[in-house]
Amino acid sequence: MRSSELHFDAVVIGTGVAGLVAATRLAQSGARVAVVAKGVGSTHLAPATIDVLGYAPDRVDAPGPALEQLIAARPDHPYALIGADIVADALSWFAELVPSGPLPGYVYGGSLDHNQLLPTALGALRPSALVPETMANGEASGLKRVCIVGTPALRDFHPALCAANLSRAGIDARSVSLELKLERADMNTLGIARRFDDEKWRRQFCAELSMKLRADEAVGLPAMLGLLDPHEVLADVEHRLGRRVFEIPTLPPSVPGIRLYEILRSALRAAGGRLVIGAEVVSSTREGERVASVATRAAGRDLAYVAPWYVLASGGFASGGIELDSHWATHDRALGLPLRGLPADGEERFVATYLDEQPMARVGVAVDAELRAEGAENVLVAGAALPGAVPWREGSGEGIALASGYRAAQVAAGQLSPTAAIA
Amino acid sequence: MVTLSTEILVIGGGATGTGVAWDAALRGYDVVLVDRLDLAEGTSGRFHGMLHSGGRYAVKDPRAAEECIAENRILRRVAADCIEDTGGMFVTTPSDDPDFADRLLEGCRATGVDCEEISVQEALRSEPRLHPKISRAIRVPDANIDVWKTVWAMGHGVQQRGGRILPYHAVTAIHREGDEITGARVRDARTGEETDVHARVTVNATGAWAGQLADMAGIEGVRVLPGRGIMIAMNHRLVNTVVNRCQMPSDGDIIVPIRTVSVIGTTDVNTDDPDDHSVHQDEVDAMLDDGEKLVPGFRQARALRVWTGVRPLFEDAKPTGTDSRDVTRAHALLDHAKRDGVGRFFTITGGKLTTFRLMAEETMNAVVAQLGESRPCTTSTEPLPGSESSEPYRLGERLARKEADLIDEQMICECELVPRHKLEETITRTGSTNLDDIRRQLRLGMGPCQGGFCIYRAAGILHARDGMTAEDADSSLVNFLQERWKGQRPILYGDQLRQSRLDDWIFQGVLDVEHLPS
Repeated sequence: MRSSELHFDAVVIGTGVAGLVAATRLAQSGARVAVVAKGVGSTHLAPATIDVLGYAPDRVDAPGPALEQLIAARPDHPYALIGADIVADALSWFAELVPSGPLPGYVYGGSLDHNQLLPTALGALRPSALVPETMANGEASGLKRVCIVGTPALRDFHPALCAANLSRAGIDARSVSLELKLERADMNTLGIARRFDDEKWRRQFCAELSMKLRADEAVGLPAMLGLLDPHEVLADVEHRLGRRVFEIPTLPPSVPGIRLYEILRSALRAAGGRLVIGAEVVSSTREGERVASVATRAAGRDLAYVAPWYVLASGGFASGGIELDSHWATHDRALGLPLRGLPADGEERFVATYLDEQPMARVGVAVDAELRAEGAENVLVAGAALPGAVPWREGSGEGIALASGYRAAQVAAGQLSPTAAIA
Repeated sequence: MVTLSTEILVIGGGATGTGVAWDAALRGYDVVLVDRLDLAEGTSGRFHGMLHSGGRYAVKDPRAAEECIAENRILRRVAADCIEDTGGMFVTTPSDDPDFADRLLEGCRATGVDCEEISVQEALRSEPRLHPKISRAIRVPDANIDVWKTVWAMGHGVQQRGGRILPYHAVTAIHREGDEITGARVRDARTGEETDVHARVTVNATGAWAGQLADMAGIEGVRVLPGRGIMIAMNHRLVNTVVNRCQMPSDGDIIVPIRTVSVIGTTDVNTDDPDDHSVHQDEVDAMLDDGEKLVPGFRQARALRVWTGVRPLFEDAKPTGTDSRDVTRAHALLDHAKRDGVGRFFTITGGKLTTFRLMAEETMNAVVAQLGESRPCTTSTEPLPGSESSEPYRLGERLARKEADLIDEQMICECELVPRHKLEETITRTGSTNLDDIRRQLRLGMGPCQGGFCIYRAAGILHARDGMTAEDADSSLVNFLQERWKGQRPILYGDQLRQSRLDDWIFQGVLDVEHLPS
């Protein structure tokens, strides 16, 4: 197998929110950046809201102040390393980036002042700091009467159960199941989202749905209001139905997640960054305390990527960035860096109650206060690969990913050259 | 208080109890069957799925081997739809005594178990993942049997003949009038309602719990020593033949391919409590090492789930003057009229899944004799509902059926190919509100994703059932997740841990099940 070398200022491993944000920021600062990844990242699985802090452990109304408290109480938490100011900067940067992307007019709204409570497909209310405009009308405090709409063709969304749980939470909710004429008995939200991009199809959909709606009720739909122009699709559907409409995230693949990925990918491209999917990091070389190169295997040959800086954003257990083998040893799969947060000897890895906090959940790559990996001074760690957080329980995944990616870029860019430093 | 009258009351809805009910119904008796849980939720549903040829017992326990091969042949006819003819193979690995193969061949010939030694090359050709250094290989007619399908087929057969199957009805008292047992009081675990069942004869088919039930009837000395064994399901068919190590039966020496998985088993540890379903880390580690001896690379495969079954090992502790203490793997039928002077009451325990039909036949023969009647057993010739064609189950059948109309059908569980209409039918037919019970009937959520994708869908469909509240659907969903977690927790490593974390992402990150309204 032939091997060749490519040189960059920074190489980012992973294409989730953390990796794409770090790479985009570095590219925007003038660095030559490559993102290498085994596949597309976790965006395609997640609701695509930016959850900064939802539970601590009770539901958080104001994530900004709660963040300060968390930082004080948990110095080992990623937010404590990043700092509240950078979280705020990263959110502002992101909110400004979205409208300049490939989806005209599509925006994220919200702030660290209060969490928005959005219905899940099960009808629970989930707190998020920033939400795409397509979901904003689902905010619970603004919902008086709502009709949750699904279709039997979509097995991944059950409107009656969603509405029934919303009713239990005190919202006047009912459901409608709409028979859609589709050529398959089975479609996921991605397939239906492509229909919503078609104006004629949308018109037909709205005409059929209108007949089933009552006055003064908002409409909640599974998250599938188009991939190409969701801003226009939302406006059009709202106009035709004459009421407020919102999306509810459901099982993967996540349509809003794919939009988020496209926004970040296009920002990276616009800034001159390079993205290589299907390039799993299979080995790395070292020079003392530094990583000298990482090798990917793709298209039948190994490619070495050489850079003064590396950002490890390959995720936690769910993304395969960290693994636990059958002899109960844990590894960082890409670079083999030391981990932190492992349960102590004799302590259980997982506890008996599924919904309790699991001791293994806080495992991540050991880092210093600047997100530098222990034992590898030119590797910065971002996203779910960081130790100390329980993202789903806390409702903090995207907040950590966004802010740590932003911070990692800041650290690396500051060292690359004075002119490239990010303010 | 509701009162039911019947001829035969069977307590215990495992393979044996359901087999007794089926046998009795075929003989024309009116039957009521009760179980404290769902059918086959105890020992029957917690084994590796192997239909023994008898080879495993040919050296150690020739009588068990003879029973197994006879029952194996009968069940292939009458329960064909529940059995996949994988065949079985004993292989001598470098860790095994090379001379045992000769003893095995001799034992099989003596007990009538079909056996044929094949060349190592042929064995490795048919099972390429086997250890390449095996030195001998012997084919036997082992197979796999889907116990839930078998038990429910018998249950439906009983219902078709007017019998009543009452899962989730725990016995709270045994009715005894003088020297006779006249039935039992049962309590519906779901509604709390109590029912008195009056019966001409009561059969205690509670397996590992038989001693506890006999105590309730005031009968002493029925001791069942529960033997705990763990099994691990690996996420695909590492082998397509039942593979046994060619040695005296021991721990971790069988791999059974069944449906889409392969199951490695098992261990045998005495326990005091038949409800002891604990799994110890050292047992898991030992089982994975044992897997490596048969199939190198076993540890790299995904372990889906681990569970514990509790064998009933019968020990008659009733003092009889002579030394009759005997712990046996064989089954034990106790006619309490003869043993204790208590009429109309029988206990059947011990034994193994492969011989459940024989145990039922012997039990009902004794019942019929005590009643002074003459009604012959027909379970060895009458096919179970669904097995009338005598066509054995073939792997890929579900897929072949689905492929024809894939475009018109919504697949709720992709791993196990469970379509929507099948799920809806099962919910309607059973009236069940418990997704875990539905899992046992349909294999819903038993594949690699362990319910990650299908259980939200199934909860939504369940909720659409008449009268089902969101609260009930939510708790059914959360209970299912907890139940799955129990079986995954001790074996979470490698890609299955990754899968499990992905499922958490769905349930906690996307759906936020933790914060459903309460």
